[in-house]
Amino acid sequence: MTQPSLLSVKDLGISTVQDPRTLVNQVSFDIGLGEAVGVVGESGSGKTLSALSILGLLPRGVEVVSGSVIFKDKNLLTLDTEELRNIRGNEIAMIYQDPMTALNPVMKLGKQLLEVIASHGGINDGSQNQVRILLSEVGIPDVNRAMESYPHEFSGGMRQRIMIAMALLLSPQLLIADEPTTALDVTIQQQILALVSEARKKRNMSMLWITHDLGVVANLVDRLNVMYAGRIVESGTVEEIFRKPKHPYTAGLLSSLPTSTGTNRERLTSISGVPEKPWLVGNSCGFAARCSRAQARCHSEIPLTVTTDSSSVACFFPLGGN
Amino acid sequence: MSLEIKDVEKLYKIVSTDTVIHALNGIDISLPAGKTLGIVGESGCGKSTLARLVTGLETPNRGGITWKGSPIHDVNKGSFSTKKSVVQLVFQDPYSSLNPRQRIGDAISEIITVHNLVAKNMVETRVSELLSLVGLADDLKNRYPHQLSGGQRQRVSIARALAAEPSLLVLDEPVSALDVSVRAEVMNLLLDLRAKLGLTYIFISHDLAMIRYISDLVAVMYLGKIVEFGSWEQVINDPQHPYTQALIQAMPDHTVIGNPESLAKTLEGEVPDPVNLPTGCAFHLRCVKATPACTVAAQTLREISSNHLVACMEA
Amino acid sequence: MKNKEIKSKGALHYYLQSTSGVVGAVLVLIMVIVSICSIFGITPYDPVEQHIDNILQGPSVHFWFGTDDFGRDVFSRTLEGMRRSLTVSITAVSLATILGVTFGVLAGYVGKWFDQLVTRVSDVFFAFPAILLALAIVASLGNAWYDTALAIGVVYTPIFIRVARGPVLTVKEMDYIKISRVLGFSSFRILRKHIFPNVFAPIVVQIALSLSWAILTESGLSFLGLGTQPPTPSLGLMVSDAQPLAAFAWWTLVFPSLFITIVVVGLNLVGDGLRDALDPARRSS
Repeated sequence: MTQPSLLSVKDLGISTVQDPRTLVNQVSFDIGLGEAVGVVGESGSGKTLSALSILGLLPRGVEVVSGSVIFKDKNLLTLDTEELRNIRGNEIAMIYQDPMTALNPVMKLGKQLLEVIASHGGINDGSQNQVRILLSEVGIPDVNRAMESYPHEFSGGMRQRIMIAMALLLSPQLLIADEPTTALDVTIQQQILALVSEARKKRNMSMLWITHDLGVVANLVDRLNVMYAGRIVESGTVEEIFRKPKHPYTAGLLSSLPTSTGTNRERLTSISGVPEKPWLVGNSCGFAARCSRAQARCHSEIPLTVTTDSSSVACFFPLGGN
Repeated sequence: MSLEIKDVEKLYKIVSTDTVIHALNGIDISLPAGKTLGIVGESGCGKSTLARLVTGLETPNRGGITWKGSPIHDVNKGSFSTKKSVVQLVFQDPYSSLNPRQRIGDAISEIITVHNLVAKNMVETRVSELLSLVGLADDLKNRYPHQLSGGQRQRVSIARALAAEPSLLVLDEPVSALDVSVRAEVMNLLLDLRAKLGLTYIFISHDLAMIRYISDLVAVMYLGKIVEFGSWEQVINDPQHPYTQALIQAMPDHTVIGNPESLAKTLEGEVPDPVNLPTGCAFHLRCVKATPACTVAAQTLREISSNHLVACMEA
Repeated sequence: MKNKEIKSKGALHYYLQSTSGVVGAVLVLIMVIVSICSIFGITPYDPVEQHIDNILQGPSVHFWFGTDDFGRDVFSRTLEGMRRSLTVSITAVSLATILGVTFGVLAGYVGKWFDQLVTRVSDVFFAFPAILLALAIVASLGNAWYDTALAIGVVYTPIFIRVARGPVLTVKEMDYIKISRVLGFSSFRILRKHIFPNVFAPIVVQIALSLSWAILTESGLSFLGLGTQPPTPSLGLMVSDAQPLAAFAWWTLVFPSLFITIVVVGLNLVGDGLRDALDPARRSS
């Protein structure tokens, strides 16, 4: 990595507070300036918790127990509430699956958006216009009327756009997206992905995109981290991961996905079993129980992460040799 | 000898707001026995409504659905005199598909005992047979749904549907709510069951990749109408309707990498509203090929090549 | 199909983990034993027998709770009063449960005009304060214990309608109910096997709570002079009679009141315990 990192997560560990169970285990990844990074995983992989911990938004009953999150030379995990609040929305913004979690249903849109600017002390005469321009950029038709409307008057796709506008208002350097398109129709999803891609490139903004859908990140991010049972099992460029996956889970996942094009209908190879729970993994490779390549070692030791150039894999017997 | 859906219309009247939802606006389908029909579409297209009509949960306002010549409702209800049900159903949500207070074994055997499908002393064996058919361990019989994973519950739902010995199985997004790594197993199970039991499937999904994998025939729906119909190769590899083309283009595809331009050709416009149907062709508001004529006349399916039907005059 | 028994066993296990539930159950059990003693006449004295030599005596070895202004043994009267309160309460709540749950479940499941009718009628009942309504009914019916029970039962029926109807509306929309219809099950079977087992938890909790309210209502009615008539003991009547005596014969007021309190608190705690035990959300698999 020759680029300086904008965000550097190192050895992040997250557990439940009461009767501690590991949910995220030794997770490390970097996001460079202007870089888009994806985190892919299934339910229980720990991808959402990892993202939420960056902005100190973990739910009650769950806490960070180890590691650091360095953002521009500051460890976000050690900042006090006021300092963190300055960063949220301002330097790091977040969008979610349900736009209604971001929007106040009883406040007019214009007012809400201006409030975002005001809360970071930047309100001035040009703010109204700033909001209008942004709403227009995200594709909201009839901006003036929109400013006077309430969130429920918009469709799901429109609300997503509004939430994106809200996130972009203060020109953050990093946008974290937690499955924002999962609940959308495919054609609307494509609109949102295109919008986000455009906006990101225009601003040279970094992005962390969380999803379970490999197809979505294929053309959206530069690099990808694959998570399983609370750990990162593989990371690399999209090209490396999709074309030459090294971890048996990644490879298994890819070959279990049907394609939507082509004339071939090969039988999908399935991975037997169910995704492992992170706290039951202990001193072993979380994927061992379902892995066709697993040997004795995999059940009794945690695989080390081996890095070559820009990619890394946590496996004793990766595909394509060590 | 097949499933015939003729000119089916379905409306929902909402009294409180005095609006009418046009869920299905004239559906015609002919599905040969033993074949799989994949129905793909987005919100508001009516695919789930069609599932409810085919299974007899609701009746159409106009038109009819027959199986091997007999109306589907009579066949499904009256057929219990012949002790075999024609159509069964598997839903999307593995969590609400099973009665939380009923053991797995009882859930599967209920239809068998209620309609005496096998002799009383054979019921237990039959349940074991069905569990094994869907790849589940026999000891799951005494467990409750909350003790099973999502994938296992879906298999139980399938086993329960098969217990009724249907000829036609309607599957409404059967794997969408499952973890990605679990989906392939259930899909392959469906393929195997189809081969083994000679079942006819109607597979409903928004995921074109799943549709492509399992279907013989594909119907693309938009705002209560079928806009394109044909074999899977025809519809997916040679789509003629602008909506089908846009849908295929919009599907996330993990085999196409590092191609940012793929996001460029997006379909404009909003998800359609089944309350306020557009005039003429339902798709014209979002269609890149729309002409003034499209706003006037509703499009009907016409054959553009052997058994490949498209509802578009610009195709 | 022996599901229900096994499921209840599971619930019992959870119930026993709730302190309030266990305490409540013990309190209620004590009162039930007390009542059974009264039914079989196992009381130190006849509750209506007057011991003229021992009027208004404080608690002693002979009269554990003392005597009242007629020389009657307060302890025996309290036991019998508790028995009568429980009898009325259980009868009333049984009536309310059977009527309320039947109408509530049917209204929720069938919907349409029937649901509208049942809801509107319940609303009319809800508009009145329970005790006033009970009062009116008892006043027109009579003073026998079964009149009181009928009055309270009728007044509490709407609560059960509501408690039964709500969950039915939710459960009705579940996929497994739709699938039951596609499988061709009769509505009766669906109600019995699929809807009822999934809605009975709040009903059971409501039964416990209603039992406690019914005791209070019965006490209130007899306190006001309706319901049980003297010389038959009733907890409410005893409290009412004790009013002028309380200043110098505290035992005539304290013991009946204490018993009312114990059984009401006990039933409420049982309700809490049941709620915790039957709520699947509080359990891990």
